[in-house]
Amino acid sequence: MFDLPVEGEQLFVLEFGDIVNYLSLYTGALFFFAVTFILIAIIARPEHQTDIIFGTDAVYTKDIKPESLRFQRFMAIACGLATLGAVSSGDLFNFTLFTTLIGITNIGIVAGGDNRYVLNAAYNYGIVAMVATVFLFGGAAMALGTCGTLAIWELAGKGLVPLGAKMFLVLGVMGEGMAPFYIAKAEITRAPGAPYVLMIHVSSLLIFLRVIEIVLTV
Amino acid sequence: MILQLISAVFLGLLFHGIHRKVIARIQGRPGPPVWQEILHTLKFSFKQTWIPKTASMPLYVFIVAVSIAIWAGGFFVVFSGGSLLLLFAVFMLHKITEHGLGLSSGSPYGKFGAIRSVMSAASEIPLFATIAGMYVVTGSLMISDITRYQAIHGPLLISAFPMAAALYLVILSKMHYGPFSIIEAKEIVSGNLTEHFGVWRAGLQVAYALKTFVLLWVFVLLFIGALPWWLMLIAMLLLLVSLSFICAFTPMLSPFDAVAFETVVTGILVGYILVLGVSG
Repeated sequence: MFDLPVEGEQLFVLEFGDIVNYLSLYTGALFFFAVTFILIAIIARPEHQTDIIFGTDAVYTKDIKPESLRFQRFMAIACGLATLGAVSSGDLFNFTLFTTLIGITNIGIVAGGDNRYVLNAAYNYGIVAMVATVFLFGGAAMALGTCGTLAIWELAGKGLVPLGAKMFLVLGVMGEGMAPFYIAKAEITRAPGAPYVLMIHVSSLLIFLRVIEIVLTV
Repeated sequence: MILQLISAVFLGLLFHGIHRKVIARIQGRPGPPVWQEILHTLKFSFKQTWIPKTASMPLYVFIVAVSIAIWAGGFFVVFSGGSLLLLFAVFMLHKITEHGLGLSSGSPYGKFGAIRSVMSAASEIPLFATIAGMYVVTGSLMISDITRYQAIHGPLLISAFPMAAALYLVILSKMHYGPFSIIEAKEIVSGNLTEHFGVWRAGLQVAYALKTFVLLWVFVLLFIGALPWWLMLIAMLLLLVSLSFICAFTPMLSPFDAVAFETVVTGILVGYILVLGVSG
């Protein structure tokens, strides 16, 4: 076990050859949080959105049936599972794979909304996520080319991974975790399904937290 | 541990009351008594409570419990001298709970509060810059190691002043009635808290009291060092009063100005950390 004064003690280790998946106090907390929100996505029913009719005092409530959000729920659960993989992975390549999967499922959650503006946004996020993939895998490739391994266990505390590779990983994660993009645009107010939309932000923040740990560790 | 946690809740609520009192006195109003927030919490605990018909269940209720749980976890991290990175995670997860609070009710005001909450994620970036700077200066992210470092080398408040200023800004961004309190601005009623009333609001009061206590405590620990408990409380109180002064004198910024300001501060801090890292 590596013992860096960064993330607290190691709690669990699962070895696959030179790839060592692990949970520390830090990643364990992230893992637990992701599990909690997967359970919420499984059992929660969508909210009924109340909208204001602009220029008047009137409001109306949309009736959203859970059946119409079945695809969104599936994508939210898949996104949660990918997040579990990303926070517990002990290998830079597996981390990038899981992070990419989070990007794909995030697009799926947005695209599940039955609204042309929301669908148009999903298309734009798809382009951002694809571009971010280049940085993610580029970062992992640079780390492999420099160090000869992608196992975080091997790289921990040695400071061998170049700064450029770390910056690429952070940029990639920022692109795949689309919460900041999504939230700054108007279609968030149109998208129904709070428990599923929330999963976009849970996954985005958790992979950001994980990549910070990776950058400080390797 | 439970006793300390309960004490922290009451002290946090008392700090909120003092915060309101200081702001009121500066603005020439009598203001509420300092124990008003404690009374509020007790009052909300016994008020009639129900769940809006539009709410997403059980997310609407569950998010309150998550809010309390993460700040109880944050308290434990600081209490045990644990990892600053874990506290950073707590702070980020708080953002998710703020967002969930707003989304879960179905209310447009809640939703706008939730959107502003995620937009103001820029306020977390100075915290990350602080943490990265701490690692560069002290070589550790464990709070216990950082307090030991200060016992030998003196308070970081002087030697790492830009990082202290950044964390101060982070705490300011989380204070009620402050320049960055855009998520609870009155033009969106109470923002993401609009539809959480009664016992749900009491739960949130408890969570936010813990948050204020933990943030003030960690600032003193990181930049002044470990102090006897009574001196620690005085230092936290002085820090709070300084924040209240800023809140009393500064108007609330627009959402985009708030984000821009925090991003500029982060940029300056990143430059400082790079210089620090390169020069050793």
